Amino acid sequence: MSAMLLNKEKWPEFVKMLAGKKVLAPQADGDAMRFAAVAEGEAPALDYNNTRVPPKGALFPQTETMLKFQSGSEQVEEPQLDQETVVLGLRPCDARAMAIVEKLFKWDIDDPYFVRRRDLTTLVGLACIEPGMNCFCSSVGGGPASTEGLDMLMVDLGENYLLEAFTEKGEALLAETKDLLEEAGDVQLKEKEKVVGDAEQKIKRKVDTEGVPEGLPGLWEDPLWQKVSASCLGCGTCTYLCPTCHCFDIQDETEGFDARRCRMWDSCMFDEYTMHTSGHNPRPTRRERTRNRINHKYGYYVDKFDVIACVGCGRCTNLCPVNIDIIETIRQVKEAL
Amino acid sequence: MKMDLEQLRKTAAEVVSRDDVRYLVGWKQGTYGYRVAPGFIEDAAGAAELIFSPLCTANLATYLTLAEQLPVPRGEEPDDRKVALMVKGCDSRAVVQLLVEKGIERDDVVVIGCPCPGVIDADLLAEKYPETEDLAEMKWDGEDFLLIHGGEETKIARDELLAEKCRLCRYPNPIISDIMLDQEVETWELAEDEGVQEIEGKDVDERADYWAEQFEKCIRCYSCRNVCPLCYCQDCVLDRLNPTWVNRSVNFSENTAFNIARAFHLAGRCIECGECERVCPANIPLGKLNRKLAREVRDKYGFEAGVDPEAEPFQASFKPDDPEDFIL
Repeated sequence: MSAMLLNKEKWPEFVKMLAGKKVLAPQADGDAMRFAAVAEGEAPALDYNNTRVPPKGALFPQTETMLKFQSGSEQVEEPQLDQETVVLGLRPCDARAMAIVEKLFKWDIDDPYFVRRRDLTTLVGLACIEPGMNCFCSSVGGGPASTEGLDMLMVDLGENYLLEAFTEKGEALLAETKDLLEEAGDVQLKEKEKVVGDAEQKIKRKVDTEGVPEGLPGLWEDPLWQKVSASCLGCGTCTYLCPTCHCFDIQDETEGFDARRCRMWDSCMFDEYTMHTSGHNPRPTRRERTRNRINHKYGYYVDKFDVIACVGCGRCTNLCPVNIDIIETIRQVKEAL
Repeated sequence: MKMDLEQLRKTAAEVVSRDDVRYLVGWKQGTYGYRVAPGFIEDAAGAAELIFSPLCTANLATYLTLAEQLPVPRGEEPDDRKVALMVKGCDSRAVVQLLVEKGIERDDVVVIGCPCPGVIDADLLAEKYPETEDLAEMKWDGEDFLLIHGGEETKIARDELLAEKCRLCRYPNPIISDIMLDQEVETWELAEDEGVQEIEGKDVDERADYWAEQFEKCIRCYSCRNVCPLCYCQDCVLDRLNPTWVNRSVNFSENTAFNIARAFHLAGRCIECGECERVCPANIPLGKLNRKLAREVRDKYGFEAGVDPEAEPFQASFKPDDPEDFIL
């Protein structure tokens, strides 16, 4: 692992040196921030809390075209994935989510789309200095400077960014930009520890997950699910904004004589999510769907991959239209155990 | 005006104790900070959780049609008791419009009216007074808002935080109610609808560009549809797969198809409660679109949604002597 320093004045040049690759970075959109492609010659400012929509689409786009074909033709065209991409300034929680989801996409078979995109993508994180209102990463195995899933981490040290690479891709990026960088010393590494330690102290909300994965099956018929889901609108906000939610549907779509097979995000909160052809739905109401969302993150995923599929980014709680609060839900689960 | 919480809770406890009432939907303190959550109150004791304050932005009328109809076990009777609902002025218009459309029956619901001096814009509040984990309260205090947090009271000028929908509100007092919780509030001077004026000031190409940029952000979570008290089709055009009217693909074309379908299905039906815009995680200014359509319907057809329970639904009425002079 190498640690380097980048003076913030050289940040625009650093971004410029990535030319030729697609650069995704958080950009202002009214009051909110969102990940978007950086226009040539621009250098995004990274002083933001977090984006509303997570950057998961960089590896798992909301709509992935798997193949294209035309009516009357037997030719099938598969889009080639060859765009090298750099995601700049994603938060450690979002990178960690990508590592968690990767376990599934590399499980029984390597998912060609996710794995290919991951190979083509360099993830450059930015450690959190100001955790948001509903951040609880440190309660679920992460932290403001977690490096899991990242190729490189940047830490804001005031005048400089401290750059640390953890993978070949990260090292390659440091090598490409070495003219702009200086070697970091112990002073800066100590400074980093302080900055990260301070950030950890600022995390306001905590979740106690002990016993939750083991206890969830016993709460299958517990009245708590009725209580939690009573106000649920059944929209996809919590799942679409969740960096670890990875359910998808595959559909064929047509436009005139052109057709495409697409894989798109799906949401377990939608009522047609597990609808069978017969019309039967094993999750007929929002009670079962809410139970599924929590069980998938805090139960099934732990059974299968030994990690909670929630990184504590707080988005579902921030933006739920009716204040369904995952921290409170887990507290209620604990209480019911 | 001051809302007497004791009175509210006492009334709610009485209503929810009635034999013909199944549960009551009102507002309660949320899980942290300024958050307010919908409360489903099933007994008199539960009524102690209820609040009514400038933080109660949500329109709970959506729960009248959102409630799931579960199969009734053999040998049991369906529970057809009433639902009690707390409404502000704008929310009451949703109830009226549902009655007009026969989406609900008048006997299905006990309407508890809360005259409303205007609620806050939560984004503005959080921006100026950052959120905290400990609970905060708000009150109306004469012309101002009063924020009560950590034992401290902060007076905030009404204009600083008032939600856009309230600046434009012509109906702060519930139009329909079985029980009115307080005296009517006086209506206030209306702000200009700058959002709609901005749209009207653009030519066709500029408008297309503006909405293209907005719809491009849409992630199709359908929170705008689900939160809307007037989007209650059992079988929504957006969910149909055979035929697929709107593809699931998230791109400009499909997003536009969705947003136009949503807006037009609400023309002459939207009661301008602003919930769609409030909940949109992509910050799309849906209110401008809805209010523009509402204004068109008002100007051209003299119809306003949700103000007259006896009205005929605008999109479903027919007159043989309709001049139809706009048909080419």
